[in-house]
Amino acid sequence: MLPSIDLRIQNLVKALVEVVLPALPPTERLARDQAALVVGHLRMIAEQWKFALRFESQSLDHLLDLAGNLAAADVPMGAELRRRLAASVAKFRSTDRADGNAIETAIIDIGADIDQVIQGDGTESRIPAELMRLVLQYGAIQARRERTWFQGNMLDPGRAGLPSIAEMLAEGAAKT
Amino acid sequence: MIESPARTARRGGPWDRSDMEPRVREILDRKLILRERGPYVAKTNEQVSGMLQRVFASQGFVNVRIFDIERMAGGASKEQFAFTVRHGGCPDGERLVLRMDPIESIAQTCRGREGQMQTAMQGVVPVAPVTYIDADGEVLGQPGLITRFVNGVTKPTDVDAAGVSGIGSRFDAWAGKLAPQFVEYLSRIHHFDWQSKPLTYFKVPAPGTTQAAIWQVNWWSRVWWDDIVEPVPIITLCERWLRENAPVCEAPVVVHGDFRIGNFMFEEPSGRYTAVLDWELCHFGDFHEDIAWAMQKLWGARSEDGEFLVCGLLPRDEFTAQYQARSGNRIDPVKLRYYEVLNAYKCAVMDLGAAMQAGIRGNNHQDLVLTWLGSAGAVFLDQIVELIGGAGYAAQH
Repeated sequence: MLPSIDLRIQNLVKALVEVVLPALPPTERLARDQAALVVGHLRMIAEQWKFALRFESQSLDHLLDLAGNLAAADVPMGAELRRRLAASVAKFRSTDRADGNAIETAIIDIGADIDQVIQGDGTESRIPAELMRLVLQYGAIQARRERTWFQGNMLDPGRAGLPSIAEMLAEGAAKT
Repeated sequence: MIESPARTARRGGPWDRSDMEPRVREILDRKLILRERGPYVAKTNEQVSGMLQRVFASQGFVNVRIFDIERMAGGASKEQFAFTVRHGGCPDGERLVLRMDPIESIAQTCRGREGQMQTAMQGVVPVAPVTYIDADGEVLGQPGLITRFVNGVTKPTDVDAAGVSGIGSRFDAWAGKLAPQFVEYLSRIHHFDWQSKPLTYFKVPAPGTTQAAIWQVNWWSRVWWDDIVEPVPIITLCERWLRENAPVCEAPVVVHGDFRIGNFMFEEPSGRYTAVLDWELCHFGDFHEDIAWAMQKLWGARSEDGEFLVCGLLPRDEFTAQYQARSGNRIDPVKLRYYEVLNAYKCAVMDLGAAMQAGIRGNNHQDLVLTWLGSAGAVFLDQIVELIGGAGYAAQH
């Protein structure tokens, strides 16, 4: 058997916790803090790595849904921006989901167009209601996904109400 | 990091961000220049000793001895060292603290502003006396300040549950001693008579206008668009909402800007405050901003019976009631909500923008801490959705 990623992370954590941290004198505060954080990050990575591509891919799907909804909705934007948004949705739907870099590039590019729609051109006095509704709806789903993804940092005061990463991805797959 | 044409495009939208405090603008401009000089490597004790020798020599002291240099815990934003100095003017030695800027951090701020306000606050609230300010790093080589060492703890040694930067601490039986001081000192800061104080690094927003809010929106949206790594639609929506809903501030006061758990020290077992810390985000503005900041979910904790405690100290209603009774300021719920949104926005910008950019470039002494704090960014996005959309909005979707 080749040493798996899980096994190697497990070995890294053990070495840090049982060998490196005890060997660091209490006066070496930065080194101790950093070593403890490395352990924390490794534990989170152990929970995340198998799901990383699916997580990013679903993030792109959610963003494409928002872009498509905005392009189709009665939301003020120039004709050229509306055309570009619709074209980007069509283009990035076919992003290679096995290529993490391609997914990230798609998120950045489609996100930039969405930002432009949200910002408007400075002529409207208030955020249009439909724009507000669509972005908040997307934001609620995506914030929950990201909180779930990083619940292992133990910083989120509402983490007890979050699903596991596997459950969250299954929910996302069922919706798309 | 992925390169994309969109990443480098100017995407700040139609808004003019030039209306902000001049010194804040200088610091943000300087950051863009400095960031190209990275990566930053944590200073060694030997390097710190050399820097301090330069400081004391520049002040005319001779026979300077620097010893017992000790890196201080925490410091998610600035690099901090305790040390002892002995010289001709201080033969018995004095314990001091050096606090200085890495190239980039989660919050890019001014040591001159911090030092001036901390000095002005002496006798108003407990603070560590400032002994030296190098606002532009002319002697130290990077901006920094030196204060006297103050004894105390930021969390009780007999209570568990504390994370990075004091987040998640609960004070249990200590709350009875600490909460009244927390409210009292916040009230004193807001009633501080600053008119005659030398606060040359600060400007005061025009009373009776929306400038107090807009200066903050311009500051933090500038940070977002300077540091953006990946678009976040909720952050963009929030900026627009903040601009459209900016409230009038009738009478600007000193706003601490980071008045929360982890930023005050107290003695054990008395619980007496020894210092209000971390004045780097201090500015003039609306007192609601500090109230809303202290109330943020991330600084809070749940009591044994599940009740949310502001900064791990007291329930939200009790906090606002005690503050109003102590200060005489009347809390306007509409303004409070606005500043809750603004603060969640600021924190999201720090976590998902400034921290990530500094971490990617390796420009901080604790890149790992920044990445860790960045992983909490969605907590603030969720808060923005709840606050703008209405209570329970996020849970319904």
